[in-house]
Amino acid sequence: MKSNALKVNESDNVAIATQAVKKGDLVIVNGRELFGAAEDVEPGHKIALLPIAAGEDVLRYGEPIVRATCDIGRGEWVHVHNTEPVPGDLKE
Amino acid sequence: MEFLGYKREDGRFGVRNHVLVMASVCCANGVVEAIGRALPGVVTVTHAYGCGCGPEDLSVARRVLAGLIDNPNVGASLVIGLGCESLNSESLAEAAQCKLAEALVIQKAGGTATTRRGIEVATKFLEKMKAQERVPAPVSELVVGLECGGSDAFSGVTANPAVGAAADRFVHEGATVILAETTEMIGTPHILKRRCATAELGEQVERLVNEQEKRVRASLGELAGMVIAPGNIEGGLSSITEKSLGCITKAGTTLINEVVEYACRPSKRGLVIMDTPGYDIESMAGMAAGGAQLILFTTGRGSPAGFPAIPVIKVASNSQTYNNMPGDMDLNAGSIIDEGKAIEETGREIYDLSMRVAGGEQTCAETNRMAAFGYLKQGPSF
Repeated sequence: MKSNALKVNESDNVAIATQAVKKGDLVIVNGRELFGAAEDVEPGHKIALLPIAAGEDVLRYGEPIVRATCDIGRGEWVHVHNTEPVPGDLKE
Repeated sequence: MEFLGYKREDGRFGVRNHVLVMASVCCANGVVEAIGRALPGVVTVTHAYGCGCGPEDLSVARRVLAGLIDNPNVGASLVIGLGCESLNSESLAEAAQCKLAEALVIQKAGGTATTRRGIEVATKFLEKMKAQERVPAPVSELVVGLECGGSDAFSGVTANPAVGAAADRFVHEGATVILAETTEMIGTPHILKRRCATAELGEQVERLVNEQEKRVRASLGELAGMVIAPGNIEGGLSSITEKSLGCITKAGTTLINEVVEYACRPSKRGLVIMDTPGYDIESMAGMAAGGAQLILFTTGRGSPAGFPAIPVIKVASNSQTYNNMPGDMDLNAGSIIDEGKAIEETGREIYDLSMRVAGGEQTCAETNRMAAFGYLKQGPSF
């Protein structure tokens, strides 16, 4: 099955859409079908692979990249509207 | 594993056997370019300074120019000076250890007549280089510089992780890999610290990155957030940490063995960090002066820029860019997205291509003669 999202590290809880994903589309990560997208996600943007609770870290490359500012459901778009930089990030 | 390279007297090996014709100061650029037009086989190095600046900038310029002359890809150098400049051409040529090097001074040799003399000298050098044969060289003799330029959302998903896989292989074979562009480590000092071979190195890296962050804040002020640009956010990056993680992934997973200053030669093998700006042109100059014989350059939006005397291998992060600039890209990591190719497989392809380039295969930037050169300058002109 052709993937429409890629996950770089096993422990990541988000994948990157490699093409425009529409709400309801099957999200296929690294060849495996996982679930339906909860909303539209642009190419290059992040889709939550699991529920991420408010205050929980979003992981890419196995590392925290941002922190959720509200509960994020599986299949939702993850970006600056529902996350904040982790401590130590330049953009504060 | 080995490649066929040019052996130098100091025991290092070059992947090319270039004759460098270099200006010690901008005023001499014209003569260098004239020699280059007469002899397309030489590599010309022209630049904007060599004078009119303070001692620190001069010292960096000297280190870069001397480092290029010293680079194992260079078999012979002709340095053209004006005569009154701060960065003296004769001292540059004299400093070239165990190598063919000569200096010509425009004010002594009669102005543009220096061009004629320069063509004679460079022609002799070219003949000598042609006579030299490649010999077997261990992979461990390679110093591979890493660069990312014109990054997009996919650079950190395709090209950079694939280069990281190749970097791990190089380190495994005993070679040296240089991670540079300190600006693109902002947000990750705690991660890099963990990956250092010693606690002391960890502190050094942390200090380096934090100082760079301070400099960025001090000079860009409110616009410091520009380090993550609106284009990056539109493209999907949510934080500088995310952007920098995507950048450092091209260094692979091995331990960091050393931290070196801009344009200095690493003394250790394996993965090392060099302090350079994120600006591609100056970053490549630092690594070339540090002895890199090859540069792996990932790009999302595309860039044709190569570097004098050093083959630069362009790895596109996506097929659109690869297909849009077919004559400038050496490898398409976009197949990770389009064909579901594994990162490891693309990493192997990058490694194999690097080895072929080391043995003489030309990169697009070399074929197109797209060398770009400039070095770090931080102070004012006078």
